[in-house]
Amino acid sequence: MHNTQLVQAVWGGVLFGSVYGLMALGLTLVWGAVRLLNLAHGAIFIVGAYAAYWVVASLHLPILVALPVGVLTAAAFATMMHVLFIRPVIGKRGFDNATLVATVGLSISVSAAALLIFNPQYKVVPPVLKGSNNVAGVEITYQGLLVIATSLALFALVYLFLTYTRQGMAIRAVSQQQEAASLMSIPVVRTYGVVIAISGALAGLAGVLLSPFYFLNPSSGFNPMIQALIVTIFGGLGSIRGALVAGYVLGIFESFVEVYFGVAWALPGVFLLIILMLIVRPNGLFGIGEVRRL
Amino acid sequence: MLEVRALHAGYAGSEVLHGIDLRVGEGEGVIVLGPNGHGKTTLLRAITGLLPVRSGQVLFEGRDITHFRADLIAAAGIVHIPQGDLLFPEMTVRENLLMGAYHGPSWSQRKPRLGRVYELFPWLERRGGQLARTLSGGERRMLALGRGLMAHAKILLIDEPSLGLAPLATQQIYASIQQIKRAGMALLLADENANHVEGLADRVYLLETGMLVREGPAEKLLQDTAVLESYLG
Repeated sequence: MHNTQLVQAVWGGVLFGSVYGLMALGLTLVWGAVRLLNLAHGAIFIVGAYAAYWVVASLHLPILVALPVGVLTAAAFATMMHVLFIRPVIGKRGFDNATLVATVGLSISVSAAALLIFNPQYKVVPPVLKGSNNVAGVEITYQGLLVIATSLALFALVYLFLTYTRQGMAIRAVSQQQEAASLMSIPVVRTYGVVIAISGALAGLAGVLLSPFYFLNPSSGFNPMIQALIVTIFGGLGSIRGALVAGYVLGIFESFVEVYFGVAWALPGVFLLIILMLIVRPNGLFGIGEVRRL
Repeated sequence: MLEVRALHAGYAGSEVLHGIDLRVGEGEGVIVLGPNGHGKTTLLRAITGLLPVRSGQVLFEGRDITHFRADLIAAAGIVHIPQGDLLFPEMTVRENLLMGAYHGPSWSQRKPRLGRVYELFPWLERRGGQLARTLSGGERRMLALGRGLMAHAKILLIDEPSLGLAPLATQQIYASIQQIKRAGMALLLADENANHVEGLADRVYLLETGMLVREGPAEKLLQDTAVLESYLG
């Protein structure tokens, strides 16, 4: 019995942590590079998930085909958002307010569009990996293992990309000193577009991989979005390491509270932890604050 | 190779440059001398697209680049070492240098270019892994210069090379610029005083209140007692 509880808490925690991290990664990347709080991140998440659902349900193709379609659709959608709503206000006064309103508006539009196109019923997106294994009375699903592995792999990939590639270094350069970046012939606005597209792809991937756990309806983007925001603030806005660590800290904490104190305590417990942490470190665990960047 | 015609530029509400005519030839060293706040920085920023040009023209190798974006002007070969260095603070010395070679054709040449910059500033190689924000003022200036040389520069625009530097670092910086000039690079240098420009300058412009008031060969203008009094600190 004791063993089961412990395994349940650890498994749930690592899984939640990976899910949180996966959602937070794209959000923190865009904040770090573009200083854009993308409140449409949850909308991009369901765009990816619905695209994958459509490929499976209407085209009767396997989920392994639907997965890349979902990712690419989400990236394309994010790029469209950049071109229509972000790019026109870059460098203008009121960038923060304009983009906040635009991204919230876009979220509402996406939910409404999903409602019109797909109706409000819960949709089932099939898992990429089926089956599970019983460990000490706890169901360890293969899809869950895939989510954990994917999340860790993506953090590593994004880190390597930003550290060692020409394009990744240019993203950091633009985020740290925009004027110098343009003097190095780096196209600043196009680089923002690249970051937003990558972030969109990450949200879309999260949407396709997580929907088998949560099901999919027009408002399913909201919770992951809020979780990503919480994780990002806890870890420090703009910090990739912060998103990784905060995802697991919050995921494991929540899971342990849930298993040992009951589900009702999970959310209050998480918020208490966040409040305490923000009193000690107002910029989050690895917050880069206003001055330092990506 | 670089020609500026009747250039007007400034900031919201106030014009700083009132019709500048200037040119820099192939391999030529041109110094714009002028007191602080008279428009030297504005001039360089308007040429490299960091500041919009209100009227007038900037021509480079016969091409009109007046309203080009800064990154495209840089890609054309005009490399601007800006005031305040504007390094990438959270990147290492080596990463800063590599970003200088961002432009496609330069990127494939980044290894040999790094070698050349390390020849000029050997310490950059030893401390390649250090974050740029931890460098001293003189080191920053040298890194900014080295980063500029990583690009395929046809002309180098340098904004007050000695600003804020100690005398020793100032000497080092000017010695490096001399070396770059001897290798055949065209230079447009904005400076507050004429103390260090001997050997660098082929021609001198005097800039006052946003206008070029005099122009002439360096050996002649820098002998002029009136000029000497104003510009030798």
